[in-house]
Amino acid sequence: MGMRNRGGGMGGGGMGGGGGGMGGACYVYPDAPATPGIVTPDVVFDRGIYMNGSMTMDDGRSVRIWGFTDGSGGGMGGGGMGGAPFPSPAIRVTAGQIVHTRLNVQGMMWNHTIHHHGIEPADSSDGVGHITWDVDGTYTYQWRPMHPGTYFYHCHTNTVLHAEMGMYGALIVDPPEGPGTLLSGGPTYDVEAFWVVDEIDSSWHNLPWDAGTCGQDVGLNELNPDYFIITGVDGSGTSAMNLPPISANMQVGQKLLGRYICAGYHPQRINFGGLPGTLYVSDGRPLPNPVPVTEIRAISGERYDVIFEPTQPGEYIISTDIIHWITGEVLGTAKTNVVVTA
Amino acid sequence: MKRRDFLKAGLAGSALGSIGLLSWTPRAFATTIDRTFYITDGFKTMVTGENVYFRGFSEAGNALNVPGESIVAQQGDTLRITIVNTLSTTHSFVIDGVVDSGPIAGGQTRTIQFTADTHGSYLYYDKLNAPYNRLLGLHGGLAVMPQGSSNELYPGSPTFVQQYFWIFNDIDPAWHEAVRNGQTPNTAYVPRYFTLNGLGGRPPGAPGAHDPNIDSLTDPRSALHGQIGDRTLVRMFNVGLADQSVHAHGNHMEWLTENGQVRPDIWKKDCLYLEGDMGSIDSIYPFEVPPDSWPPTSTSTYPMHLHTEMSQTAGGGYYMFGAMTDIYFE
Ligand SMILES: [Cu+2]
Ligand SMILES: [Cu+2]
Repeated sequence: MGMRNRGGGMGGGGMGGGGGGMGGACYVYPDAPATPGIVTPDVVFDRGIYMNGSMTMDDGRSVRIWGFTDGSGGGMGGGGMGGAPFPSPAIRVTAGQIVHTRLNVQGMMWNHTIHHHGIEPADSSDGVGHITWDVDGTYTYQWRPMHPGTYFYHCHTNTVLHAEMGMYGALIVDPPEGPGTLLSGGPTYDVEAFWVVDEIDSSWHNLPWDAGTCGQDVGLNELNPDYFIITGVDGSGTSAMNLPPISANMQVGQKLLGRYICAGYHPQRINFGGLPGTLYVSDGRPLPNPVPVTEIRAISGERYDVIFEPTQPGEYIISTDIIHWITGEVLGTAKTNVVVTA
Repeated sequence: MKRRDFLKAGLAGSALGSIGLLSWTPRAFATTIDRTFYITDGFKTMVTGENVYFRGFSEAGNALNVPGESIVAQQGDTLRITIVNTLSTTHSFVIDGVVDSGPIAGGQTRTIQFTADTHGSYLYYDKLNAPYNRLLGLHGGLAVMPQGSSNELYPGSPTFVQQYFWIFNDIDPAWHEAVRNGQTPNTAYVPRYFTLNGLGGRPPGAPGAHDPNIDSLTDPRSALHGQIGDRTLVRMFNVGLADQSVHAHGNHMEWLTENGQVRPDIWKKDCLYLEGDMGSIDSIYPFEVPPDSWPPTSTSTYPMHLHTEMSQTAGGGYYMFGAMTDIYFE
């Protein structure tokens, strides 16, 4: 049985599991062609792969993390020059720029893609394996963001596993005015916080990259998280408190932009701890009318851009409940804070 | 073994596969729409090889349609629905706020008649033994168009040129088996299969790939096809129990309604929160030039998938064999 299956052959399918077994991947489509219509970009981001990262939780346990490196990586798919940052390094661009995201997958043993979630490029730059290809080598995604707001990017190969393993990073589109302005002619801000809330089921974190693809039952239908994290930090205790840019320090009279990304798979409810906010943008699109909010319910992949203008000094706890998708039970909470001084 | 115990999945979608997207021409006068549904049961073979028991509102006594065929009516029409219960168990045909057949005992036939008074998107389903009969497949969609309108969800709504139903379900075979045996499920609900209009995805190279009776990626009831400007209404229901995130690539979706209520503002979203246990959303996929494409593209293919990614699996693995479809810019 070969290592990879480009849409044929070893399908398995109705044969009841299709074998799979050690090292066999099914329904991945390895390729790295030239980018159709490629032009000279205004800005380039190089991303490599790591699959040997780790995150230390408040209880002392270390959980394996995969992600993207900054730079083309050190080869062999491991750590590489960029280390193993989690979340993966942010991509920040200005609306109207032509952007290249150059993904270098040199593991020789696996495939990955980058999907710029919420960005809507041609399919050849959308990073969806079954429609185009799973990157095997170096591929350049070309896109021109037109709508300011908060997005994220993540791997779209065996996505259920790869995104859970941590293969995501923030993607921010600024208006031409640059950071400090959320929308052209719209609200401005002085301070920015990144609330990327996710849950981790550590029992998934020892699986191989192609787990389940040939039909093995590896439990990917059931996510039972034991850790609740915010922007790569254990959010169950105080680890994410007083840790900008997850937390924020600001003064009365300043404006805070909270960029909230629901990066987990279970539903979430983020509560702003008594800070009244105004929701201006969701999923990278301005709302016809801004909405006052004290908390927001969200589902996987949604983003919400909320402006806060505190009038009272104090510490405000930003807490996000992670809620079971079927039972509605609160499984855990990830917290950070906003400290407002006079 | 009963005659219909081994209906193949291929049969289940055969009659629906030819219908494709729901076309609609407004009429000046109300009419009567007659439909007969046979409540049937049988097993469907999942991609894993596992046979799972289902019940459906079917087109014939020897068919098994999950979901039942969708109906498009116009405000003011009379709907005359005949239910032939071929099973030995009691079932019902309910549209919340519109009609309730009451219990129809095994072997009985009942005709119910009602007027489609209010435009909108509805689910017809068996409300007895809730949620089990519904989860097992006894559900389908009804669209009621505003009177005299061919292109609106409600009078004054944003317009569309074609419409689809996306009915999502999640399946715990242990629950289906318990119901088959006349028991009330007493195990924790752990869905192992996730479907869109009764089917899961079959990515290229998989058995059944590109077969519209098996593959939700190409099922014409589910896959969106359009040219630039072909604004497409999608009426979504979640008959399963899990909350889902409906995530479209290529274009943001205009979010018109939530659980039957018109939203105060229309937001453009790439992820929509579709609640479990009978959540519903009406949304327009606009088929605009994908805004961030460079050079701009008008012919691309994208997925719609649930971002609650557990729902992209089948039998605990098989990524891409869950609830998803493809969107074709042609
Ligand atoms: Cu990956
Ligand atoms: Cu995504």
